[in-house]
Amino acid sequence: MKKLSWIAICMAVSVGVLFCLTPAHAAKPIKIGLVDCYSGGATTFTYDVRDAFKMAMDNVNAKGGILGRQVEITTRDTKFKVDIGVNVTKELVMREGVDILVGTINSSVALAISEIVKDAKIPFFSTFSKSDKITGEKGQRYVFGITENTAMVGKAAARGLAEKPYIKYWIAGDDYEYGHALGDGVWTNLKKFKPDVKLIGQSWWKVGEPELTPYLTAIMAAKPDAVIFATGGASMVNIMKASKATGFSEKIPMFVHTATELSTLMPLGQEAPADVLGTSNYYFYFPETPENKAFVKEFQDAYGRYPKVGALYGYLAAQYIIKGYEKAGKFDTEKFIDALGGLTVDSPVGPVEMRACDHQAQLPMFMGVTKKSPDYPFFIASEIKTIPGPQTVPTCEEIKELRSKK
Amino acid sequence: MFKGMIHKNTAFFLAALFVVFLFLPKIIPSYYVYFIASVLVMALLAMSLNLVVGFGGLFQFHHGVFYGVGAYAIALLVKKTPIPEWICFILSPFVAALAGLIIGLICIRLSKLYFAMIQISLGSLLWALAFRWYGFTGGDDGIHGIPMPSMISGVNNSYYFILIVFVVCIVALFMILKSPFGSTLQAARDNEQRCEAIGVFVKRHQLFAIVIASFFAGIAGVLFVVLERSVFPDLLFWTLSLEILIMCLLGGWFTFAGPIIGAAIMLSLRTFIGIQTEYWTLILAVILALLIFFLPEGVWGYFQEKLKHRKEAVTERGQ
Amino acid sequence: MDIASAFGMSEIALQLLVGLSRAMILFIISAGLSLILGVLRVPNVAHGSLYMIGAFAAYSVNQIVGGAAGFWLSLILAPLFVALVSFVAERVLFCHLYEREHLMLLLFTFALMLIFGDLVKFFWGVDYKSVTAPDMLKGSVMIFGLPFPAYNLFLLIIGPVVGFALWLFVSKTRIGKISKAASVDRMMVGALGINVSWVFCTAFVIGCFLAGLGGALIAPTMGITLGMDHTIIMEAFLIVVIGGLGNIWGALVGALIFGVTQSIGVMLLPQFAIIFPYLAVVIVLMIWPKGLLKSVW
Repeated sequence: MKKLSWIAICMAVSVGVLFCLTPAHAAKPIKIGLVDCYSGGATTFTYDVRDAFKMAMDNVNAKGGILGRQVEITTRDTKFKVDIGVNVTKELVMREGVDILVGTINSSVALAISEIVKDAKIPFFSTFSKSDKITGEKGQRYVFGITENTAMVGKAAARGLAEKPYIKYWIAGDDYEYGHALGDGVWTNLKKFKPDVKLIGQSWWKVGEPELTPYLTAIMAAKPDAVIFATGGASMVNIMKASKATGFSEKIPMFVHTATELSTLMPLGQEAPADVLGTSNYYFYFPETPENKAFVKEFQDAYGRYPKVGALYGYLAAQYIIKGYEKAGKFDTEKFIDALGGLTVDSPVGPVEMRACDHQAQLPMFMGVTKKSPDYPFFIASEIKTIPGPQTVPTCEEIKELRSKK
Repeated sequence: MFKGMIHKNTAFFLAALFVVFLFLPKIIPSYYVYFIASVLVMALLAMSLNLVVGFGGLFQFHHGVFYGVGAYAIALLVKKTPIPEWICFILSPFVAALAGLIIGLICIRLSKLYFAMIQISLGSLLWALAFRWYGFTGGDDGIHGIPMPSMISGVNNSYYFILIVFVVCIVALFMILKSPFGSTLQAARDNEQRCEAIGVFVKRHQLFAIVIASFFAGIAGVLFVVLERSVFPDLLFWTLSLEILIMCLLGGWFTFAGPIIGAAIMLSLRTFIGIQTEYWTLILAVILALLIFFLPEGVWGYFQEKLKHRKEAVTERGQ
Repeated sequence: MDIASAFGMSEIALQLLVGLSRAMILFIISAGLSLILGVLRVPNVAHGSLYMIGAFAAYSVNQIVGGAAGFWLSLILAPLFVALVSFVAERVLFCHLYEREHLMLLLFTFALMLIFGDLVKFFWGVDYKSVTAPDMLKGSVMIFGLPFPAYNLFLLIIGPVVGFALWLFVSKTRIGKISKAASVDRMMVGALGINVSWVFCTAFVIGCFLAGLGGALIAPTMGITLGMDHTIIMEAFLIVVIGGLGNIWGALVGALIFGVTQSIGVMLLPQFAIIFPYLAVVIVLMIWPKGLLKSVW
């Protein structure tokens, strides 16, 4: 027993000594922590955020850094789990001592991080979480949204759909917060723009459901004029496949928010259903501006693949950080946050403003239909309509009202 | 009170250890204080599971549910009711115990994997409830930023609270295992028929064990909320339950302290490999597989075995 | 539920067919799981990963060969690849572990599941993948005046074929009979001078082959993604437990129950789709505590 206790004490002491050896802080670079899900199905989105972010920061480092300081990026994997997300975030904040947090595709993790950074007073850039609570109801000073959220998608999609002649709608989607919020977002706005629309039914499947045929045949039997699909993750591809195989896409007009995303259309190749309506923040082939072309080329040269929508978010996050510090003129978190309010940065989709009242980037939304392309081995979006950012976001008054509730 | 239960040296060692833990926040950086607190929460959860799995011999596959119920109970009670916080703290573990009683009543008639699967199904129904009931439970977004009394918020304060509750619970669990009830439970694990034959209501004992275990799991859930101030449906999902099970087996499921070691190993591996590489699951899983392969009794079980051999050798030589 | 009354007989019949075709895939996967549970007594959590590997391997075969030939070849090569992986795993790892506690085995396979998950990510990358069905199985055919996916019709044919082959194996071949006996009393079989180890190995490899086949078969109907192992494994276990652990025909019954309740359920009560499988298990096990059919457990 004695020996054992000696061993235990020695171990405890050595572990304690190891723990105390935290990295020195002299002449330190700017530390940025990327918290995101880097394993499982979500990686197809998150890798692009990370890579585009790194690309932008490498550029700035090569030019001497931000205001003379280099940028150092550390990544942590959340496994799409909230508890791990919280653990690694606290680790980044308390042990690693990051100056800025960027990340995550999981809204629940983003909301949890929001609470952590509120106490820690560290700016957090939400890059792929679609919940409108992040910059809406639960929004606060230290959180910045640089992705579309369900409220924005809803408003944008409703604008497009209101111009169509459909009256009887059906809503279907992934049975989780994101799916429902998206469905509700589209529906409440559509109702506003076009009061005579009718919702004749809804169906929701469990997240990741592999077999969507029974749902589609059930919807077909109810004969709606059009169907709104609120899908994310694996369902993005599944719904396209199932709608093609069942002949659904030829019979009933579909709006699938993610239909025109590269993540959906690239794996489908020539087997995608045509004429499906979809929205996205970014296509690598649109807008056809020199800025976008240069961005695509740089990304392709660096990583050998087309940038997906996540790349835009990663790039934007980097731009806001760089320009924010430059505008603030010094390294002071509060000054940095003040500088970001109302800051406009250039991006592949044109200038994007960070709105001061809710810290939400005013991203434009593109709406198009899927179509076969002579230039690529997969379908692309065509007949693209641009809905400018300010038309998609809720107004500052609405945000204020949301936040004052409770 | 503990006379004859533990050796004098061990008692001394444990007391010293407790003092060290009391002074830790003064010595180490606050992140590690937080880390140790999270290990303590997981350790308590794993120990409560081990009461049923290791000592009760039941296939309790969805223990995480009771942890989640405890966490959700405190979160919802604090957020949605005017009940004073400290009463919520006391109520929540009982809510978990109630869940344990109901689920236990349904499961207990079945054996082994059937028991496991019906428990997973029932637990998943609860998970679906938390996941879907947006208005009440916050859906899959969960509830974040739950207000806690200022006495126990902040890293150090929550650490002390967790440490003290942890120690009290450990002592309680130890007493339960050494009580006649605990002995009967273990006897029923080793030979169910014989126990039935001598007039022990095995099922009733097992059900009682499930209720006690879910009570302690509920306490762990409350501690989790104290530490993280968040709840979310992942807490009720079956993957978490498997992780706790791994902690028990890894540490040594026939030993009392094994689950603590298991929880510490799991969380350390996860945290400190995660810092190094994105493929941390791969490395974690390989280490797990190796441990299962070579240390079937678990890490602590292995050490205990070694220790026993050495002691025997010493006494033999002495004679 | 005024929507329900709006459905005609032909819609409901079609929905039933969709459910049956779904059940065929579930049957193929869970029959493999059940076989391993019955003969080896290993609750193989890594079964879902093998199914995922089957789907990814089918994708690779299709990439290399292409066209209709690629698809048919993938149905053979992908499961064979999975069988090979499982053969190695069995000979190197599992065969040393059979005497361990069930819980230990379960956790060991859980560790394997994590390992496989990361390996698939390492070898196949993170993007969604998709496999194209050959032209004859594309699109839909008209049944009861309604469109029905041709591929699902194909599944309705292949399901019974696999079932028949499995029946032949278990009740007509020597090794099948031995493994059946070994599932009841492995000591006795060993005492008869039969090399139980190889019987186990065969059963394991065949079970995993079925997982791979399930993956290859499902590949054209959905996006192939990381994480598809998690979605299927719990479902497969629930099916197996409904039917009776280790009983292959129980897996068939369970799969039919799942497929049909799911497809009819989403028509009538779509808002509860998420809980159907769990509810089914709770109800069945409360009435039949050992599953519907005879179980060796």
